[in-house]
Amino acid sequence: MTAVALLLADARLPVAGHTQSGGLEPALAAGLDDVPAYLALRLATVTRTESATAVVTLAHLRRGEGLDAVYDAWAARTVSAAMRDTSRELGRGLLRLATTLWDLPPLLTGLPRPMVLGAVAHATGVPSADLAEVIGYDDLQTVASAALKLRPLDPAVATSWVVAALPQLATLVAEVAHLDAPTDIPATSSPWIEQLAEDHAVTTRRLFRA
Amino acid sequence: MPETTRELRLGICGPVGTGKSSLIMLLCARLGDELEIGVVTNDIYTDEDARMIRAAGVLDPSRIVAVETGACPHTAIRDDITANLLAVEDLVAARGPLDVVLVESGGDNLTATFSPALVDAQIFVIDVAGGGDVARKGGPGIERADLLVVNKTDLAPYVGVDVDEMRADAVAARDGRPVVALSRHDPHSVAVLLEWVRSQVARHRSGRLVPVDPGPMAPHFHAVENGHFHAGENGHFHAGENGHSHDDHAHAH
Repeated sequence: MTAVALLLADARLPVAGHTQSGGLEPALAAGLDDVPAYLALRLATVTRTESATAVVTLAHLRRGEGLDAVYDAWAARTVSAAMRDTSRELGRGLLRLATTLWDLPPLLTGLPRPMVLGAVAHATGVPSADLAEVIGYDDLQTVASAALKLRPLDPAVATSWVVAALPQLATLVAEVAHLDAPTDIPATSSPWIEQLAEDHAVTTRRLFRA
Repeated sequence: MPETTRELRLGICGPVGTGKSSLIMLLCARLGDELEIGVVTNDIYTDEDARMIRAAGVLDPSRIVAVETGACPHTAIRDDITANLLAVEDLVAARGPLDVVLVESGGDNLTATFSPALVDAQIFVIDVAGGGDVARKGGPGIERADLLVVNKTDLAPYVGVDVDEMRADAVAARDGRPVVALSRHDPHSVAVLLEWVRSQVARHRSGRLVPVDPGPMAPHFHAVENGHFHAGENGHFHAGENGHSHDDHAHAH
């Protein structure tokens, strides 16, 4: 894994990662008990779409192609408006930092986080597989670390969930790393996660933004 | 230095329950006629503070926005200010131009201070009910925030605290930086606070306000910083507004 990929996966990167629970907060409020199953569900659905979106963004930029079709494909596969808002908000925070660090392509304003990550990968030479892995790994750690804030847990247990999910992450990476067209992005939505995201966006009692 | 047209970003920090939201409502109520004000709150678990300030009717509700901090209020104002910066920018884009954006930290602990990349100046708030020894114990905010407010002085008789002693502790800990012993029932102390905020707006507009980081716990940090502070442009501040503030608060009680 490249050092820049490690940097992008590091929770200390100042891009507002601490405001996120990966949808875990509303899921627990709705009665979720099995967090490892939730991690697996995300890898199979919303995170898979995100990773593929990032990889296809990178492929487009490598070929010098525009990003409109990638954006449209991502938006069509991210059914929840609240989740699209969250992803654009995170993309904006990341872009704000990244433009101070690297020469990024212009006109990235308003793009979701996976597309900004794809652009960063393009500017820094991060390979497709690393890019997909960063997104999947970050999602696992986002949920696991939020669980420590939301439930009484031994931190070692939360980390063990992440470790146990790594084989599934490796499979995800192998499946999306070679994708290069917007139509390749899997439409693996999760209506349950999407509905919870919509509910969470309008609640007044929440620790996490999303 | 060049004049600036960007709003002054003023941080309000301090432990939970010391009166940060009340201080903001006071500033909105008393300065709202002369300054265009916006508010960003960093709540711990709800948008309670934002709602309370909206409900107070002292400011157009659309000028008050809340940031969720994921149970990390100190991170959101210091190590990773992304969410707050975006909130300030959005607020100004939607409701600006503004003169001042007040950024309220989530009530945290005595060590939390704002990054100078987020705010231009910061007020640290403690209160007499938190214990008369808090000022003496010190910390980066108490010692080096631009202004220290010792709040709720009217409660001192009920909690067995000697306000004069607590203020003297604070003044001693701050090496000349201003202290306001505040009670919203004491008009003179309120006037001193308002005048300090006006002076910060004026300094900011004239380009003379340079963010000073209270910094981490470091026993002699202020001594190094202070040489620069007095020798540089801020010498003017010490001779002017600051001295004025001290004179005022000396007569406040």
